[in-house]
Parts: sequence; structure tokens; C-alpha cells
Amino acid sequence: MAEKGPLKISAKELTSGLVHAKDVEVFIGRLAMEEEWEPLGPTPFPSIATLRSWDHLLLSRYKPFYAPFCDYCCLCTYGKCDLSKGRLGACGLDMKAQTARIVLIACCIGAATHLSHARHMVDHLIEKYGEDYPINLGSDIAVEMPHARLITGIKPKTLGDLAFLLNYCEKQVTQCLSAAHTGQEGSYIDFESKALQVSMIDHLAMEIADVAQIVTFGFPKGDPDAPLTWVGLGVLDLSKPVVLCIGHNVSAGIEVIDYLEKSGLGGPGETVEVAGLCCTAHDITRYRDQAKIVGPISDQLRIIRSGAADAIMIDEQCIRTNVVYEAQRVKTPVIAVSDKASHGLPDVSELPIEKIVQMLVSGSTPGVFLPDLEKAGAVVALTAIRMAPIRQKFKIIPDPSQIQTQASQCTFCGTCRRNCPIDLPIDQAVFNAKNGNFELLSMLHDVCLGCARCEQVCPRKIPALSLIEAAAQHKIKTEKYRMRVGRGPILDTEIREVGSPIVLGEIPGVVAYVGCANFPNGGREVATMAREFARRGYIVTLSGCSAMVASYVKNEEGKTIYEEFPGAFDRGGVVNVGSCVANAHISGAAIKIANIFARRPLRANYEEIADYILNRVGACGVAWGAYSQKAASIATGFNRLGVPVIVGPQGSKYRRMYLGRAEDKESFTVYDARTGERVWVGPAPEHLIIALETMEECMVWTAKLCIRPNDTTKGRMIKLTHYVDLYKRIYGRLPPDLHMFVRTEADIPVTFKDEIMQHLKEVGWKPWERPSIDPTLLKRLVRV
Amino acid sequence: MAMTVKPWQWGNVPGHEMATPVKGDVVAKLIKSAKRPLLVVGGEALREKWGDKLLIDFVAELAKTGVPVVATAHTYRALRERGVEPAAIMTVADVTNRLQDPSWSVDGKGVHDLAIFVGISYQLQSQMLSTLKHFATHLRTISLDRYFHPNATFSMPNLKQDEWEQVLNNVIQVVRG
Repeated sequence: MAEKGPLKISAKELTSGLVHAKDVEVFIGRLAMEEEWEPLGPTPFPSIATLRSWDHLLLSRYKPFYAPFCDYCCLCTYGKCDLSKGRLGACGLDMKAQTARIVLIACCIGAATHLSHARHMVDHLIEKYGEDYPINLGSDIAVEMPHARLITGIKPKTLGDLAFLLNYCEKQVTQCLSAAHTGQEGSYIDFESKALQVSMIDHLAMEIADVAQIVTFGFPKGDPDAPLTWVGLGVLDLSKPVVLCIGHNVSAGIEVIDYLEKSGLGGPGETVEVAGLCCTAHDITRYRDQAKIVGPISDQLRIIRSGAADAIMIDEQCIRTNVVYEAQRVKTPVIAVSDKASHGLPDVSELPIEKIVQMLVSGSTPGVFLPDLEKAGAVVALTAIRMAPIRQKFKIIPDPSQIQTQASQCTFCGTCRRNCPIDLPIDQAVFNAKNGNFELLSMLHDVCLGCARCEQVCPRKIPALSLIEAAAQHKIKTEKYRMRVGRGPILDTEIREVGSPIVLGEIPGVVAYVGCANFPNGGREVATMAREFARRGYIVTLSGCSAMVASYVKNEEGKTIYEEFPGAFDRGGVVNVGSCVANAHISGAAIKIANIFARRPLRANYEEIADYILNRVGACGVAWGAYSQKAASIATGFNRLGVPVIVGPQGSKYRRMYLGRAEDKESFTVYDARTGERVWVGPAPEHLIIALETMEECMVWTAKLCIRPNDTTKGRMIKLTHYVDLYKRIYGRLPPDLHMFVRTEADIPVTFKDEIMQHLKEVGWKPWERPSIDPTLLKRLVRV
Repeated sequence: MAMTVKPWQWGNVPGHEMATPVKGDVVAKLIKSAKRPLLVVGGEALREKWGDKLLIDFVAELAKTGVPVVATAHTYRALRERGVEPAAIMTVADVTNRLQDPSWSVDGKGVHDLAIFVGISYQLQSQMLSTLKHFATHLRTISLDRYFHPNATFSMPNLKQDEWEQVLNNVIQVVRG
């Protein structure tokens, strides 16, 4: 694939009769066409060093907290080096720097994955629609790509512009990753700065990927009333052939749907069920809401083993890496379409469609690698249609009548539990089943991550995951939930409506439930938390696997949160933005608030916008089941922009948090931009990223992390009402740190006034001398 | 001869130096001999059984001997209901973060020399103990959960429920003195 960007010429030194210059970079092409839509800000196309001072500012308050996963460094041939207890490795690196280095590598993997996804998507779409295809998100969205404008200073107009932006992203990821080589960076703070840099790039890459697919595939363009679709293990009509799309890059899934429609076979669900897992599932429903979502990544083995799929198409990311083996067990052919995940399958690009289908249907190969997406669409559809009568939904999940027999080998050795990522009592459940009691097995279905590590280690080869699914068959049939399809970006018109109440604190906050399905107690906790905050009038946004499982708890009227609450970005709205890459619209909304509502200059003005968000926009991300490197870079990208993130207990294995210390008053001082004085503003927000243990604790912290220095009196009172109310409900007392958030008596929630006043009196609280300031961390924004 | 114990989670092998497995009287003596112990209790204490009670009941009994408690997760209410006023309510990350600091103590009465972790979910606890192992060399740690935690200074060696309850009962008796 030829590069679509402009020609770039670099020279260390350039001398002519008129000029003498050093480190010159000249772009011939796209930049020359860039219109002056806003004066250029201070940091266009920032390199690693450009925003380093902002990172150091953030990290002086939110100090990196490390929880190493391993005592050793194993990355070069000097190793393994034991870095425990203050020891240095052969290269001189200590444990903090090594852990930060691993975090950087994780963020680079995450960003590279989204970026590579975006590159494939954009190149594919340019081939299909041409590089002049316009970026048009409709009349309600003028700020079409806030990250692109903020980071690069470019206002993209065409697919070709997106390809150009990707060149920059690719360079940054390479630069950041190179810092992880042995003998490069040695400071943990600077490793973190690079993690923040590459994670900022991640958000830009996600924005590019999602905007490209929205404008070309006709996905909803920020429609609050985007249609409802079906999600759950019980949604498929098994009387029809079923195509199962697994992964994150929907380009191929769309070809399946297009083939069905063009061939007179109707849309998804008419003659062939088209369903998906993980983010590609989100995106096929954004294309056609008749397509269905089976569930998050944790349902992958379950659905494969259930035999429901007659053809499996895998694209990229979050695919079971033994998918071919598992599919073969149920006689389901696999069609791999991405060179990033070709799974050892033979490349059949040169063969005609009919021949490929014959190979798959005859079973002469368990699958094929077919990167020609149009051809793959036809092959997948035809294979599913022809395999359905042959396979007869052949499955390996046993009938409930066989559970006891298969469990009879169990010796209750406990090996399964000791290899379960969340320590589930699988041993007890299987042992109970041996004695005819399947209740615990069935209960595990609701919380199990579906990884099957238990099966790998069982000395008796008991298929524990399959037994769990067999015991839960009666429940699985009823697992059908309504979910609003991903609507994509937030409208500029919505930002104008809610910008003021968010910044002033009158909408208590924006909570984003994002990320994967490594939940400590099942996805229903996400559903419970999302409903709690929507009912309290927070704006609830969702994406990825979290958006799916948020539908898994129905209210008293049998409605999911998507049926109970409107889809608008407004008080009490529940906004599914879409797949992983749509996360950029959540961070993008924070940027838009600073720009559209507050009129802060957007163009290449990262520090000021991030400073604005940190001090004014009460937003908090919750990645309760985060597992992937992508989730690491997404969270870290939010952090650089000033948005705090909570991860679940498993998130502690990311090895690093950014923690403030509330008692360190100096670290929570800011400039008052009106006077230039340093003013203590309380620990708001107290942390940038923290792992918590329980849902109850998470809800209290979500409310607390939405508090911002700039809240008005009314806004602070509203936010404290929720914080105090949740705290009292869960802990049975007032928050002990309340005095750090009450600036004047007018901040105190009316409902708890007497109780709080008494508490404040006991702790010696006095009204703050400077309750209302114009907070900033940036000295250059001081106006005197 | 020292016991060789496999971490409760098989994959949780951090390095060649792992916790000293302890049970029986040793656990109680370690706590009893600490000058400034701190008990950190987590959400699993509300689910794990201790005889016909919950683990949080054991925590309350131990706290009543005078060991200061930090209530993490949402354990505070349960401790209050059992007559214990925790010295602090924090997240487990917050208390671990502060325990790295040799000038910090929960009550301002001097640096802690023993952090006792109990009832915190396995993986999260393991990560917090790793932090302290690497960055709080002034501090010893012990996990009272029945699962072997290699990152602690001392840990139970994957005990059966009845063995573990016996150890905990012994701790209460000895520490009460």
C-alpha cells in the first residue's frame, strides 16, 4: 500500500544564499492546503518532549505508584536481572523505571493496535471510496474530530487527510516504543511521560478509525435515538445459518452483510443470522441494527462451543488465539481476514470463491486466510449457508444429563480454582456436580470469564467451562437484552446545552463505563453502577464490552438501561458511543466542552485544554473489567487529558496507578488565573488512576472523582449530595474527608446540613478564604 | 527445614525470594511482638467464612485487642456494627501508597513495623504486597488469608479451612494475652 500522506523532506542543516537553518522538516502536499480556521496554538504535532512539562506537572501531584508483577527484567540477554528490594539490573535500571518501562510498552502495544486498525480501515476505505471522500458528520457536528484539531492543529476534511494524520501517529508510536530499548530512558517519570504521549496518540488513532467508518459506512452520526438492537447469548435464531464475526475491525463484517443484501438473501436475520462478539459486534449493529451482539469477549468460547456458528470470521484483536482449534471441534470453518491474525491458515486469495467455499465445506481445511475483504464476505456467507445443514449446530457443550458423568472424575484437588484469574470456586462447583448438585456450576456462568484456564490445568481433563455452560442452559436461552447501538460522537448542539451545567457542576458528572470483560464479579456490576448514576442524573456514557453488559440487569418494569433512559448526552442520559475506537468520542466530548462551551482555543493547544478539563469538567472513567493493553493506553490517554479513571481489582495488574495524597496540600494548589496566587483547592480529583476492590467502593469513588475545583456553589452542593448520600448508604457515616470539599456553608447539601455542620465543627473546619477562583496549573495562563 | 510452598495462584511466581510460610503459634507471635502493627482489611472479609461467622468477625476480634485497623473496600460499616472504630477508611491502594512512606502512620504515633493484610481479594492483595516488598523495606508484611502470598514477608501456606480457622483462633487468644 502506497503512503497516502504528503512528501516529507528532512535535513539536519540547510544552507543557501539567503537562509541557514537546522533540523528542517518540509511537508509538500497536505499542509500546504491547510486553511487558517483558527490561529495555530503552541503545540502542533507534539513530539515526546513537547508536552513533557505538562506530564511532569501532572505527575508531581499524581505520583506513579508501582506494583511490580515480577521481580525480574527479562528483556535482554544480560538478564534475567533481579530488581527486587532496590537492586539494579545489568543495564542500571531500577524496579520503578523497569515497571514504568513495562507500562510504556503496554501503552505502545495498545496504541499501535488501534493505530494499525485505523491504518487498515483508512487504506481500505480510500481504496473503496477514494481519498477525497469527505469527512461529514452532519449539520449538528462542526467540530468533527476534536482530537485531531487539538493535537495536530489539522481540521481533517477527507479520508486522505486521515491517512496523513496516521503518518504522524505512526512516527510517535515508533519513537515512544524505541525508548523502551535497553540503554535508553532511565527515569521512571520520563517513561511515564512517553506512556502519556503514546496514549494521547492512541485517542487520536481511535478517533481516526471511528470517524472513517462512520462517514463511509453510514453509521449513526451522534444520533441520540439510534435504534435498539439485541445482545446476549440467547439472541440467535438457531433455525437459520449463523455467521459469527469476532474481533474489532468491521470492514469484513460489512462485506458479509453487503453480500447477503446484494445476493437477494436479505439483511441480517432474514435468511442468515449475522452476529458478533466484542467490538466488531458493536460495529455491525451500527451498520444494520438487525445484526446481533452475542456478548463480550468472555462469551467467545461459550458461543463457539455451543455450536451456534456455521462460519466464523475473525478480523483483529481480542480473538481467542486457539479459535481454529475450538471451531474445528464443532466443525465450524474459520475465515481469517487480517494479516495481523492469520492463525497459520492457508492464503487462498488467488482462488475463486466457489473453490474456497468447497474447501471449507468439505473440511479439507479448518479455515482459510483471505485478506480480500469483498471475497471474504461472499465466502463467509456462502459457507455458513452450506454448512448449516451439514453441521446441524453440532456442539461440544454436553447435555445437562451428561454433567454428572463428566464431573465424576473430580478429586476436588483445587487446581482449577488456583488457576482461575478471579479465584472462582470451580472445584467446589464441579465436586458438587459429581454429587448431583448443579446449582453452583450454574451460578458460575454469571461471573466466569470464559477463559478455560481451569480446563488446561485439570489433571483429569474435566471440561469445567463446558460443564458450567451445560448447567446454565436454562438461563442462557433467556439471555436477550435490548441495547442502543453505538451512536458515535457527541453533537455540538448537545455540548452547548450541557457544557455550562457540567462545568458549573449542576450536572453532577459524566461517568464513562468503558473497556473489557475481566470483571471481578460479572458484568452485572457494571449494569448496576450505570443505572445508579443515570438515576442520579449523571451523564452515563458507555463503550465496548461494558456497553454490552450494562444491559444485563433489567429494572422493575423489565427494561434495560437503554430502554429506561434516553440516549442523549444530557442529564440522566445513557449514551452508548460504540466500539473501543469510539472511546475517542468520550474524551472528545470533554475537549469539545472546553472549546465549544468555554471557547478555549482548540487548535494545537493541548496543555490548556487538558488543564481546563482537569480543573473543570467533572468526568470519571470506570474500566471495571479492563484486561488489555488497549485499555491501558485508553486509560492513560484519558489521564493526560485530565480525566481520572477507576479500574477494577484486576486492573492492579497493570502495575501502575497515579495517586495523589490528599494530605499533601501543596500538591493540590493551583494558580488563580485572575491573581496569580497559589491557592489550595482540595483533592479534586484526588487520583488520576486507581484500582478498587468492590463495586460499592467504586460507586463512592466515582461520585468523589467528579468533584472539580471550579464547581459553583450550587454545583458543589449537588456533587456532595451524591457523594455523601452514597457514602452514608455504603459506609453508614459521613465521608471523613468532607471538610476538604466544603468551601463555604453554601456548598453543604441541604438534606444533610445539620449533620454535616456538626461534623465540620468537630473537625475544626472554617470557610475557605478563597472559595471561588479561576483554577489552572499553567503559570502562562495567569492574566496579571 | 523450611516449607516449600507453591503460590495459591499458580502463575503468581514473582521471583526466587518468596514469603516465609508461617502457621501455628508463629503467626500470633509475630503480631504480638510487633511494636506498631497495622491491620488492613478488605472486601473479601465480608464473604469469607470463619467458622459459622464471617472473616470480618475475626478482624473485629483482633482489632479489639488494640491493633489499629484500616477499613478498605466497603468494610467500615460491618466493623462498626461489630463494635470497632477503624483508624481510617481508605482504599487498599491508598493505604499501601502511604505505607511506603517511612514517615507515615495511620494515627501519627510512629512508623508501622508490621502491616497485616486480611480479606483482600487475592490478586489485588498480591500486587499491594509487591509494592511493599519492593518499596517499603522498613516494613514487614503478613497475610492472614489462608492462601499463600509470595510477595508478603510472611504468609499462610495454603491452609485448609479448618487449619486456617485454628490459626486465626490461636491468634486471637495469644494477642489478647
